[in-house]
Amino acid sequence: MQQVASQYAPSPEVVVPFFGAGSLFYLAGCLMIGLYPDLFVGHYFSPGLLAITHLLVLGWVTMIIMGALSQLIPVILERPLHAEVWMRPVFLCLLLGTLLLAGSFWHFYLGTAMWLASVLLLVAAVLFAVNVFLTARRAEAGGIARDFILSAVVWLLFTVLIGVTLALNLRFAFLPVDHLELLKLHAHAGLVGWVMQLIIGVGSRLLPMFFLVHDPPLRSLQPAWYLLNPGLLLAIIGLWTAQPALVLSGALSLLAGIGIFLRFAVLCYRRRLKKRLDPGMRQTALAFALLVIPPALLIPLLTGGRLPASEENAIVGYGSAIIIGFFSALILGQSYKTLPFIVWLAKYRARIGRSRRVFPGDLYSTPLAHAQMWSFAAGFALLMAGIFLVKSSIVRIGGLGLSLSAICYVVNIFTIIFHKVKDEADGG
Amino acid sequence: MRQMEDRAAQDLREKLKLVIDPELMVNIVDLGLVYRIAYLEESRRIELDISLTTRACPLGALIVADVQHIAEEANPGWRVDVQIVWDPPWTPELMSEAAREALGRA
Repeated sequence: MQQVASQYAPSPEVVVPFFGAGSLFYLAGCLMIGLYPDLFVGHYFSPGLLAITHLLVLGWVTMIIMGALSQLIPVILERPLHAEVWMRPVFLCLLLGTLLLAGSFWHFYLGTAMWLASVLLLVAAVLFAVNVFLTARRAEAGGIARDFILSAVVWLLFTVLIGVTLALNLRFAFLPVDHLELLKLHAHAGLVGWVMQLIIGVGSRLLPMFFLVHDPPLRSLQPAWYLLNPGLLLAIIGLWTAQPALVLSGALSLLAGIGIFLRFAVLCYRRRLKKRLDPGMRQTALAFALLVIPPALLIPLLTGGRLPASEENAIVGYGSAIIIGFFSALILGQSYKTLPFIVWLAKYRARIGRSRRVFPGDLYSTPLAHAQMWSFAAGFALLMAGIFLVKSSIVRIGGLGLSLSAICYVVNIFTIIFHKVKDEADGG
Repeated sequence: MRQMEDRAAQDLREKLKLVIDPELMVNIVDLGLVYRIAYLEESRRIELDISLTTRACPLGALIVADVQHIAEEANPGWRVDVQIVWDPPWTPELMSEAAREALGRA
């Protein structure tokens, strides 16, 4: 028999803890939006907002990405993970590091807890990166997806190192650069360099597969890699040396790269053979619709153009549109395409040849997944309205809507995780 | 003899409709993934060439195992060789009308 990707699927024990913890972090983040709405109508550099941001970016986005990648890298590179066992310390370090870091920011305590958090997060990032690089070293498969994943991991290391430096600078103020500029640098290295590139790399494989697109336009994504990486470098140098022209050039390059990916996603959607979309792909389509918001805010922010609110509020809106909007919507959707599959494969693989009546889509509640999507859409729209109208009462209602979506999501994720094999006699 | 072989292949093709692609929820026969079924009487061997909708399909091993099992169960005493082939690559034109219907119309 020829080598096929599913032979390299990791055991669910590797993947499941990331999804379980990630879903709870998402719920915690959404509850905090509802409980502390004032944070979203003030300045972006506030301890509370820093705490919620790190809770969501590390505990939710990075947690799910690392779990999903340990499942997807073997599929994309057609090789097993170099060391599955390393994912356990990665998970523990990321979990504890996130809790300690978010707690430290919340109380603005820059002492031992923040140091310990920095070390734990650095260990998690280095172990994860080495694992990915050693897996990719001998892989011949992967193409453009491999390029994006590897560069994303490099940016993850850079982001964490800059984060540690920022933590040092908060306490000792030794850097000759404005701390807020460094914060922008750190944020964009993480959001665009790490998360966005990873989404592009993995999306180049998953979107054609889940939409069932024959002969997807993969070559069209190659320029995106050459626009994103130098563009990000240019923007970072511009922020470091305080040269707005460089920042703008870098940002335009980034936007062009993201635009290419957006076009790829739209082409996949239009050419799809699978016309009837499941809840996971519907929410994915919503995520891509939300991807137009951040560029629409970034351009006036950089050029001094007309904004719907003050610059401080617009920056909060910009960050929220990326993290709570695009990233969260995409993860909420794609979770239904990845986790059920690995749990199903582990539990029903042994039933070879017997007519299976239970499929990955049966492992969760579809009505709950729909409720999750609609409450997310309403919650996010209200959150953005509250931010730009500077009304914390609207942000609070938005936070409640998002919390409702998170509850639906958590219930479904844990239903999948604790799924019990149904016997044929049960009738599935 | 030739007619008997053709009928056996046809029967096996029908049985392989039990193998469902869990992502698309369509069986592999209607998806056009079963390329060739050959009964080799002399060596009592069945050769099955199947393909996948994409090389990165994470279900490949499972589909192969299911096909192998069904073919062996339907033909006791015969050796079954299942091969995944990429040439010619799968195209949507290979899908049956039933598969198109199941995937939904635009």
